[in-house]
Amino acid sequence: MNSPLIKNIVFDFFDGKATAIQRKYIEAWLADEANQETYFQYLDEWEGQRPQFALDTDKAMASFEQVLLNTHPPAPQPKIVKHSPATGTIRWWGWSMAASVLLMSLLGGWLFRSQLLYKSYQTAYGQTTTFQLSDGTSVTLNANSMLRVPRFGFGNDTRDVFLKGEGAFNVTHKADNQRFVVRTDGNFQIEVLGTEFVVYARERGKRVFLNKGKVKLELPLGQQLYMKPGNVVTVANSGRYQLTQKAPARPYLAWKEHWFYFDNTTLTEVAEQIRERFGVQVVVTDTELAQRRIAGNFKAEKADDLLQILTELLNLTVVKTRNHIELRTSK
Amino acid sequence: MQPVPLYPDQPKADSMPLLLVNHQSEHMANVTDDELMLRQLFAQDARKGCALLFRRYYPNLVNHAVRFVYSKEVAEDLVAEVFTVFWQDRTFEQITTSYRAYLYKAVRHRAYNYLRWELRQSDSLELADEQSIPVSLQPDQMLHYSELHQKIESIIQSLPPQCQRAFLLSRIEGKKYAEIAQDLQISSSAVEKLLIRALGKLRQELKTDWFISLVFWGSIGSVSTWM
Repeated sequence: MNSPLIKNIVFDFFDGKATAIQRKYIEAWLADEANQETYFQYLDEWEGQRPQFALDTDKAMASFEQVLLNTHPPAPQPKIVKHSPATGTIRWWGWSMAASVLLMSLLGGWLFRSQLLYKSYQTAYGQTTTFQLSDGTSVTLNANSMLRVPRFGFGNDTRDVFLKGEGAFNVTHKADNQRFVVRTDGNFQIEVLGTEFVVYARERGKRVFLNKGKVKLELPLGQQLYMKPGNVVTVANSGRYQLTQKAPARPYLAWKEHWFYFDNTTLTEVAEQIRERFGVQVVVTDTELAQRRIAGNFKAEKADDLLQILTELLNLTVVKTRNHIELRTSK
Repeated sequence: MQPVPLYPDQPKADSMPLLLVNHQSEHMANVTDDELMLRQLFAQDARKGCALLFRRYYPNLVNHAVRFVYSKEVAEDLVAEVFTVFWQDRTFEQITTSYRAYLYKAVRHRAYNYLRWELRQSDSLELADEQSIPVSLQPDQMLHYSELHQKIESIIQSLPPQCQRAFLLSRIEGKKYAEIAQDLQISSSAVEKLLIRALGKLRQELKTDWFISLVFWGSIGSVSTWM
């Protein structure tokens, strides 16, 4: 049986919908230890699709970071002092413990002040996630992206968020016409009342695609610009910008479903997109190869998915080294 | 899957012919290694590796643990403990499976032990604290875990509505007795009785057949420890 079928059966089993025959089948399949790895991969995927409640991962992450910072090498376990009447030394020891705990928590509060003031939503390489903000606005983050939202006052006076990476926004319009502002690095911001748009803000530059409604851009050099639906504004790191009037939505939204959209795209550009989304360094040393162009829609949830397609399309060889992946023409 | 609209300006004759393909790649089980990046990161900086691992798997692991322990707080603590031990004992240097497989096994093992402790009120919590998990599980045992949480789910679903509501408010939403009492318009002691009844029901239904088959390999787990 091929793997998509097995996956269906395993998912049915997790859901409690498998027949006894299917259970037996999975059991036999699991006898191969390599399949156990796949089993846990499916389990993780299954859990990811069936969240049961909102979880404050940032808070848990912050306390785990404390563990990571404070406990290495493993600290010896403090001995429990058995005799009960507190002698002078023990009392002093207790007070100094209390003082150091206080000091540590103050220090921790200072070190993690940005975690205290802002809630950040983050996506790892290869992962896209949709979040809902307290004002009802929904944000889908592309891989390797971060959105920071103030914990206090968000939605009361202003709605200011900070984005690094790429995100698709569906901003809820408020009765009092409260502004929603997306800020990025390098004095670039997008101001809206209620609308749908996609922001790209990475090292290479910035880009906004407006799907619906109206937005106002504050450009790095101080200019202001109003966008209409279907417009794309690309801003180079130098501050120069370019506006395209009628752009199709698909290329800018494809990533939400893990699609890559190439349209006469050079292999160099493809490699750059792989690095941004999956954190995998892809090198093309052959200049002729680097200029080859491809077009098409490709669904890829992992860098390997896309690399495999590329190798088939362009007849390439993938050479994996410790730090990067090189693409070469097959001999 | 729509074909792509052609790009208005065609590539020049000397460049590659435009390739138009719609391709949805399939999962290549056991061939692709999606934890490669993680492993490289661990080799460079284990601390960063652990942090990334936590961010990646924490939500899904808590989601999994809660199916067994049916308490958000316990599930969160339990998963955090697994990561803490993973870091402090440098388990990441010893495992032979993927990080994912290890973490899921450890969380299941702990969740199961916790459940057993809570329902039996036995004093064997040390067993639950033990990080030792069986190196390889029998396929049947792996499947049994899923069946256990399905059974738990059906027991919770079959609780009388008021009892179920009190149980969820307490264990998933983390509300205090007084708050639940206010929500349900009953007395605090009635809330306590409802919760005792819910646990009693779990204990009684699971004891009959589910624990017996699981109990013995809880002890196998402690024998075949990690090398």
